[in-house]
Amino acid sequence: MKSAGATAADLPESHRRHESFMAYSHFFYLKIALLVVAASVVIYTIDRPYGSGYGGTWAGYTLGTAGALLILWLTWFGYHKRSYANISTRLAAQLSAHVYLGLALLVVATLHTGLHLGWNVHTLAYVLMCAVIASGVSGVFCYARYPRLMTENRAGMTMQQMLGRIDSLDDELRQAALPLDEATAMVVERSTETNAIGGSAWRQLAGHLPGCTTAAAIAYLDAKGMVVAPEIEEAWRRVRVLLEEKGLLLIRVRRDISYKAMMDAWLYLHVPIAMMLLVALFAHIFSVFFLW
Amino acid sequence: MEVQVTVLSRRGSAIMRRTRTVSSHRVCFGRGTGNEIPLSDIRVDLTAAALFPVGGGIRIESLGPSPVRVNGTNATAAAVKPGDEILIGPYQIRLSEPPPGIDATLTIELVQPLSDSLRLTSSSRIGLERAISKRRIAWIGALLVMVIFFAAPILIYASKTVPAWRKAGSDFNPTTLIALLWKPGELSNSHRFFAANCKTCHATPFLRVTDDACLACHEKIGAHTASGANLGVMQQVLDARRCTDCHLEHRGTRGLIVSDMRLCLDCHRTLAEAASAADVSNVTGFPKGHPQFRATVVADAAKPSFQRVDVADKAAAIDRPGIKFSHAAHLVSGGFPALGIKQMGCADCHVAEPSGQGFQPITYKQQCARCHALDFDRQDLPWPNARVPHGDDAGVAAAVWNFYAGKVLQGGISEPPAPEVSQRVPGPPTRAIAETPGADPQAWVASKTEAVLQTVVFDEKRGCGYCHFGTGPQGAFEIAKAITSGAGQPRVPTARIVAPVILQSRFLPFAWFDHSKHVAVGCEECHAAAKAEAVGALLIPPIETCVGCHGGERAALRAQSTCTSCHGFHRDFLGPMRKAATAAP
Repeated sequence: MKSAGATAADLPESHRRHESFMAYSHFFYLKIALLVVAASVVIYTIDRPYGSGYGGTWAGYTLGTAGALLILWLTWFGYHKRSYANISTRLAAQLSAHVYLGLALLVVATLHTGLHLGWNVHTLAYVLMCAVIASGVSGVFCYARYPRLMTENRAGMTMQQMLGRIDSLDDELRQAALPLDEATAMVVERSTETNAIGGSAWRQLAGHLPGCTTAAAIAYLDAKGMVVAPEIEEAWRRVRVLLEEKGLLLIRVRRDISYKAMMDAWLYLHVPIAMMLLVALFAHIFSVFFLW
Repeated sequence: MEVQVTVLSRRGSAIMRRTRTVSSHRVCFGRGTGNEIPLSDIRVDLTAAALFPVGGGIRIESLGPSPVRVNGTNATAAAVKPGDEILIGPYQIRLSEPPPGIDATLTIELVQPLSDSLRLTSSSRIGLERAISKRRIAWIGALLVMVIFFAAPILIYASKTVPAWRKAGSDFNPTTLIALLWKPGELSNSHRFFAANCKTCHATPFLRVTDDACLACHEKIGAHTASGANLGVMQQVLDARRCTDCHLEHRGTRGLIVSDMRLCLDCHRTLAEAASAADVSNVTGFPKGHPQFRATVVADAAKPSFQRVDVADKAAAIDRPGIKFSHAAHLVSGGFPALGIKQMGCADCHVAEPSGQGFQPITYKQQCARCHALDFDRQDLPWPNARVPHGDDAGVAAAVWNFYAGKVLQGGISEPPAPEVSQRVPGPPTRAIAETPGADPQAWVASKTEAVLQTVVFDEKRGCGYCHFGTGPQGAFEIAKAITSGAGQPRVPTARIVAPVILQSRFLPFAWFDHSKHVAVGCEECHAAAKAEAVGALLIPPIETCVGCHGGERAALRAQSTCTSCHGFHRDFLGPMRKAATAAP
């Protein structure tokens, strides 16, 4: 679908074809991140304190300040990306910077610690930071993997379309099951009360419903399919066909919901832990100067 | 293929038909506008199905994910003929007999209008945000961290809930656990017992640890230099140093005392120039860069005065303790059979002190008396066992004088004259001593005493002179002077006859050598005692002896050694380094 007036030739190269945020602008932000890592390693190496390296040497203070500023900037991205209209640069550019500098932060902070870890607020800040970065990495994997799976699963349909089709199938089923016997009709009727799409967080992530009424109806009809009275054979077949199509659609819908949930789930670690990290970081810096 | 398409729509009982003809070799149905027969409903696939001629008939083939239903059966492809019913999504397509010139006639009707299909959408809970909220989790987590890791430790610091370090009860309770949350590293072993009480050292918030905090317990810690030493500008450098500049706490159980050589070398690398009046050499490392050892020897035991000499300088490295002692003379092979001693060894005289670090001081009583007994063959002396007491030269002189004074009261002594026929050395005849005191008893006593002291008691071969020097020039014994120096009765001389002796135990007072750690090394490997013939020869080995086994901080094939292996910064014998009141902030 092309927008009226603009042709493909008007758009910049990166708009015309899909460019992953990881490869944005020829891996520009990867190079920046590698520079940051290299600078940190150099700073860490040239400092040779009397004891062993830790956060309180001059290199430790430098890396710690850089790390803290990085954390603040990375957290600000989460806030800034919500104001879509006001963003002058592309969101993909900022996301690319966010991911790569977040990975560089791991090196900066680890060198800052000098690997002096213990059961204290300082290591808490470090561990929370690692958890945020790890959940971010899992998020990158999610964004790399799930969109394609979702597209393949949807096969050109939209969620709206699928749900609408299920709705109309429910209507058809109610009509088609009219000539059937009581027991079968009840089973079919139960399957048309389809409100078991989505649900709790766990149900959404799981992607399938063990007690799905449609699947139960299919199983019931298959089990009873041998001994069907000839006068209702026609209706029986029709109902079976409808249930089949609805079952396939439900599988697609639930799988789609599960993929979407997986793409959102990692954020439930990434964001709250980032908030906890901000508090822990403040406590860490405050305590260092409080007990100087 | 020519297809006649009629779209049928009902409104109530009215039926409307729109007919058109589509020419295409393949007629596609679908939601997309590119299809020959677009079916504009959301429930239809983008490209749902295609109708095409095959042989003499027509086939329908499903192109989208949803199957098409042909005459009630789901199919992906099927042959169709007039009279068949195809269901694509909510559209029903009926084939009827085509007129001539037309390959197929279709009637399309929307049999399931999209009325309230939003019902399903609204009743479904799709999306994780409907199930759990990120914001709530974030707030709960952040508040937890704030309370436990920020507010609680400050409260505990400000309050007195952690017991003072001398009264600490059990190790871990909620109070100490929270107090330990702000600890950036393990405390050194000796300080762990007050680890939960930050205030012990961190007395004021936002201020660095003051020297006073350390001096509260370590007030007597020794200085690095003697007070009054001329260090030039380095004195200010030394005074400005804070305890925490060198002692790094929170670096693990053994991190408090820094053994890194660079801490010392930062000053000592150029100390000879920076503190030129202090008589120190530059040290640039170990073993390469460490100057030759300088031992502190006795220069003059009488004053007393000491000096530091280079141990490798054979001419200067002489100790003058004030006695005539030669190691070689005592370690002769074969020993002293006359005394029943087979062969003397180091341990015969040098007894290790209990810690094993050094040796007990050498004394006459412990070490020398066994062989060098001061026996005297006269029985009428005031000492038991006919043994002259050692060390009391004035007392011995007084005893001899008293002996002769007593003889005066007895009327004199008789000494047999020299035999007539003895072979005598040519020279003036020996002066016979008068048998009786005569007119001047005091002079007689004095001269008798002087003669005996000169020829017997302080003689070089028979008496004190064997080991000792006198107080006179070139070590002569000034006995006459000593005798006349006495006052009162009985006449005890007040001038010393024997020169003072200083036997040092430590020749390297600024270093620490632990013999117990080197117990596997034989004495002779470092101390060339058997060959030390000269009196006063210094047996302290040069640095070359040590670097055979000891290497630098990171030596691979030698014992790793650093400055603190042998030297200490604080020397208690120099007095306290700081007074608490004047400690640097």
